[in-house]
Amino acid sequence: MTTTRKRVYGYLAEFSNASTLYKAAEQVRDAGYRKWDCYSPYPIHGLDAAMGIKRSILPWFVFFGGVAGCATAFALAYTTQVVIYPTVVQAKPANLFTIPAFFPVMFELTILFSGFTVLFGLLGLIQLPRLNHPLFASRQFHRATDDAFFIAIEARDPRFSPEKTRELLAGIGGDNIELVEEDDR
Amino acid sequence: MGHSHVTSADIAIHGDHLDTSKVSKVKSVAFAVAVLGTVASVYLLFFGPEKTRGTYAYSWLFAFYLFFTLSIGGVFWTLLHNVINASWGISVRRVFENLGSTYPWVFLFSLPLFFPQVQQYLYEWMNIHRDAHGSVKEHLHHADHLLYNKHWFMNLPFWYGRGIFYFIGITLVIIGLRRLSTAQDTDPNPGTGRLLRARFHSTYTMVVFALTITFTGFDFLMGLDYKWFSTMWGVYLFAGTALNSMAVIILVTAWLKGRGHLRHVTGPEHFHIMGKLLFAFTVFWAYIAFSQFFLIWYAGITEETSYFLIRNTGNWNTAMIALVFGHFVVPFVVLLQAWLKKNPRTLSFMAAYTLAMHVLDHYLITIPERGISLGNIRPEVFGDIQVAIPGAFWGDLLAFATIGSAFLFFLIRALGQHSLYPNRDPRLLESANLSN
Repeated sequence: MTTTRKRVYGYLAEFSNASTLYKAAEQVRDAGYRKWDCYSPYPIHGLDAAMGIKRSILPWFVFFGGVAGCATAFALAYTTQVVIYPTVVQAKPANLFTIPAFFPVMFELTILFSGFTVLFGLLGLIQLPRLNHPLFASRQFHRATDDAFFIAIEARDPRFSPEKTRELLAGIGGDNIELVEEDDR
Repeated sequence: MGHSHVTSADIAIHGDHLDTSKVSKVKSVAFAVAVLGTVASVYLLFFGPEKTRGTYAYSWLFAFYLFFTLSIGGVFWTLLHNVINASWGISVRRVFENLGSTYPWVFLFSLPLFFPQVQQYLYEWMNIHRDAHGSVKEHLHHADHLLYNKHWFMNLPFWYGRGIFYFIGITLVIIGLRRLSTAQDTDPNPGTGRLLRARFHSTYTMVVFALTITFTGFDFLMGLDYKWFSTMWGVYLFAGTALNSMAVIILVTAWLKGRGHLRHVTGPEHFHIMGKLLFAFTVFWAYIAFSQFFLIWYAGITEETSYFLIRNTGNWNTAMIALVFGHFVVPFVVLLQAWLKKNPRTLSFMAAYTLAMHVLDHYLITIPERGISLGNIRPEVFGDIQVAIPGAFWGDLLAFATIGSAFLFFLIRALGQHSLYPNRDPRLLESANLSN
């Protein structure tokens, strides 16, 4: 018989509704925890502020993604239609002042590159796609996509302590507090 | 949300009223400027030397249409807010309604444009129509075949009829909706009845708005050159209207907030949404303005290109390029920031800037036509066709100050008439606790 080693992921606590989850999140934030998260079946307005989450860096990626798209389109159109193969259409100039004809392309590539940066930047920042998550080891966690609200505090957090973290979660109204362990291979 | 949850205890039961004694000074100065300016304008439009009468007709049209767009934009936002059943803006909806309620007053300033003495300098097609002895159609058949084909739309009785429709239609719409809204403030038993009625009546009246903004643009502005046409003209004017009336709404809301009004019911979230709308319509304006230019530039049809040829001649070209960067590129980049839109002070700055660009936009719509039309109509008085008529700028300034101060007067007057937010609206708390 083989024995598998287990590694502690952290504490999982259930909260009865969105309002108690929101208030509990403010308390966990004020207790100074960094590596923790809230799980809810639907988005809760203002929860990011209650959790003390800083603004994402994603908008900056998207801004420069859009600028890159705009520049790519201009370079593409200008190189092909002015530098390599100047084409006079309806007596329109074939120089920098042909730029109105390039605008639709510049607009579209700005949107396209921004869209790609949003999608792939987001996936990168939230580390998706992934095959598994340690919280899936918990049986009750499946209800997070149905009718339950959870807070999970990770053991990686420097303030994590087996007793005090449990007490904190119990004190702010957490039920069914569970120490989630994952298989360690 | 969270720490500052607004409850019914925070709402002023009897409404939040503007202290009219504190704004009476601004109001009376605006009134005095408007009255003096109107007297001077009537003289310049009807009794002055012919050279001034001609140039000032354009100044008046520019100033009238500029403030007309701001007023009718207030009507648009009221209608839109009702028809989409929005709840975010309940606490600022009264500002929309008050801005819209200046519409009948501002429209009165179009009166000179209904007199042949003024029309003769603006609308050449009317001169050709009036030259007819007997049947107009028969006359046009020989004089100008283009006008013969356009006769079903461009004829004087229909033109005057449309003018009356523009005035009566939107006036009834905004008076009705505003009355429905303000009657709730004192109702001891406010229900949802008015909400549903406002929503219902805003649906078909939205059509009245669409017709008014499109066809006033055709009749007052596109008619300056009857040979020119653009199918994007109506939506182009609409884009500027929606954008800049939102800029006025932002400025008024920030001003009221600075004076201690709208407390608890508006906050950074409301400014954020209004800022997003300002940003959205900045992009929409650019999209429409470019599309109009692009189609005309690509097709290269003589009748259509005249508009841009005139506006790219001489110094107008500098102003047109300034419009591209000042009306789109700069506000687009600046308004991307979220923090800026949540701060009433920075957002007000951008709103004021946008309004300044709107003035430039409308100056470029109306005024470049002046040197060409007047030189065409009466070269012996106005000289040959020229890019701009020297000295006529001071008239533009006078007309702007006159109608502008009248607009300001009626706006402040409207703000002082009722509570500054609908204090008994069933969804006021939903709006006050907005989070986006």
